[in-house]
Amino acid sequence: MNKSMQGKTIEQVNASLARRYAKDRRFRRLGLAAIFSGLAFVLMLFGSIVSNGYSAFGQTYLRLNINFDPQLLGVAPLQNGAGYELKTLQQGDYGALVKAALRAEFPEVKSRSDLRELYSLISSGAPRDLQQMVLSNPAIIGSSQSLWLIADDDIDMVVKGYINRKVAESERRVNDQKIAWIEQLEAKAAVARQFNTRFFTNGDSREPELAGIGGAIMGSFYTLLITLVLSFPIGVSAAIYLEEFAPRNRWTDLIEVNINNLAAVPSIVFGLLGMAVFINFMQMPRSAPLVGGLVLTLMTLPTIIIASRAALKAVPPSIREAALGIGASKLQMVGQHVLPLALPGMLTGAIIGMAQALGESAPLLMIGMVAFIVDVPAGIYDPSTVLPVQIFLWADSPERAFVERTSAAIMVLLLFLLLMNLVAILLRRRFERRW
Amino acid sequence: MLTEARRNNDFSAGDDFVSKVGTITSENPRMTARGVDVHYGNKHAINNVSLDVGENEVLAMIGPSGCGKSTFLRCLNRMNDTIDICQVSGEIKLGEQDIYDKDLDVVPLRSQVGMVFQKPNPFPKSIYDNIAYGPRIHGLVSSKSELDELVETSLRRAGLWEEVKDDLDKPGTGLSGGQQQRLCIARTIAVSPEVILMDEPCSALDPIATAKIEELIDELRENYTIAIVTHSMQQAARVSQRTAYFHLGKLIEVGNTDDIFTNPKHQLTEDYITGRFG
Repeated sequence: MNKSMQGKTIEQVNASLARRYAKDRRFRRLGLAAIFSGLAFVLMLFGSIVSNGYSAFGQTYLRLNINFDPQLLGVAPLQNGAGYELKTLQQGDYGALVKAALRAEFPEVKSRSDLRELYSLISSGAPRDLQQMVLSNPAIIGSSQSLWLIADDDIDMVVKGYINRKVAESERRVNDQKIAWIEQLEAKAAVARQFNTRFFTNGDSREPELAGIGGAIMGSFYTLLITLVLSFPIGVSAAIYLEEFAPRNRWTDLIEVNINNLAAVPSIVFGLLGMAVFINFMQMPRSAPLVGGLVLTLMTLPTIIIASRAALKAVPPSIREAALGIGASKLQMVGQHVLPLALPGMLTGAIIGMAQALGESAPLLMIGMVAFIVDVPAGIYDPSTVLPVQIFLWADSPERAFVERTSAAIMVLLLFLLLMNLVAILLRRRFERRW
Repeated sequence: MLTEARRNNDFSAGDDFVSKVGTITSENPRMTARGVDVHYGNKHAINNVSLDVGENEVLAMIGPSGCGKSTFLRCLNRMNDTIDICQVSGEIKLGEQDIYDKDLDVVPLRSQVGMVFQKPNPFPKSIYDNIAYGPRIHGLVSSKSELDELVETSLRRAGLWEEVKDDLDKPGTGLSGGQQQRLCIARTIAVSPEVILMDEPCSALDPIATAKIEELIDELRENYTIAIVTHSMQQAARVSQRTAYFHLGKLIEVGNTDDIFTNPKHQLTEDYITGRFG
């Protein structure tokens, strides 16, 4: 009886074996397919961002012979002949120098409308560059120099190939005459692409070739600074109190439920709250990193509290008992034993919260950080914008040259996020203790 | 009645059945518990236990799992305070001091009544810092050299000094299980408590490490009062002078260890030590 049963069992098992293994293989293939499709989408996203954005790190410059003619500039030397007064140098007509240089380069252009076209080859930011040159070295007045001047964004687009020279004139932004001038300059090797330092140092601008993310980076920096300084201590203290000291009753249950709910509140709601409380009621300045930081603090607090509580919970109870058993007070137990062990987890939570805050734009729109701000902010009270909002603003702009700048700004933002996550991982590896 | 109750495993049937046997008092008591009841929420974990822990003696507490012996031990230095739903009533005194007095501070109490836990739980710090932690927080030493000396004597008393004297700055968690447990004992005696409570200190250790700890307990008896909870009846017989047998939250029998193991008076005690259940 028993023998025959055993024979039957092995028959049954063998019969079903192929089916069971096939199921196993199917499931594995399904998993692999899911992972590869996910990877493919990520690669597509990164590929499109990088291919759109990498060219923004270069900028087209045109070489012109600039004659620093004092008469053209409208500056007269001091009576004693010892150089020029600072104020007259600042007020000089540097645009006239650029125009004169262009006329000298293309002497055949005569009519008023053609000249206007010609002048638009060079960016409106070029005269300011010349002014800076003269202010730093007034001795160059009177001399003639061959200089690389920043080109207009349309010219930049033509040189980078985003505006196709082959299509009919009516279908492109840059007319045939301008393209002819560019080709003339190219023949003389007077067109070059140089590294775009302005992109990292300048604030926003209506002229794409002058626009940069420097202002947005500083705005993000100040905003995150406020967020970190406020949310980490508050979040960690709240977590420690709730986890270690608070009695378990209906009130603490209610607080816990509410913290979990706050983590799920749409961020724009925090923006509205910030506008109502910080700007309208407390009369704080609009568009300032101070208010942005406060709003993002409200948003990241639940994340940090939840992560910190999880880190505290993960500390084994045996350590608490050991400390209490030799007569440590509760605060000594928490401060000297539990907190050092939970800190890596708390830091990881805080950095992930910060990364979230860095990528946040919706609540900042509500408090006016979406304004067009040219100056790089110098403090937490200055009007400023942040990286994601800058990306939003540029994505909304019609100029072709803002497309590549949008993608380039996204690349910079992603780089910062990657760095922050890397730091979180390294911190965890470095300080994590095992038992 | 008796046999039927045992057949049904119903040991709580009838209070007469679980009446106390033996002498709960010690000649020279250091801690005295009278009429202690412990509730975990609705669960009655300890039922009217009265027991003395005598000076310079080792009291062993034995009994099947869940009988309340660990709970009782943790009442003696109020470690149960950390459990919210735990409620203790009755009277426990250390000398003349009622330790459940409302005005009593648990921090000094726990420096007088130290505890060694079931699983070795050194702090994830150096061996030196593990021992030095207690004296530091209580301000027992005034200089670095005094602290060094205290660390050395504590480790010597715990029989660990020779093994670790060159590695004092290495983490305590890197020691073997038996060494870790002796480190925990050294940490406990570094604050010079009067009473040491041990909650199954050898249950996670191999026989050789266990033998070392048992030897150590015997030596410590000269200076300290020790209460130990153990699952091993051999251990209780080896290290203790008095033994108390707990069953389902009640103290069944207590007396000199020799008497308990050679001549148990209560049926349950006899059944347990002869291995009929437990």
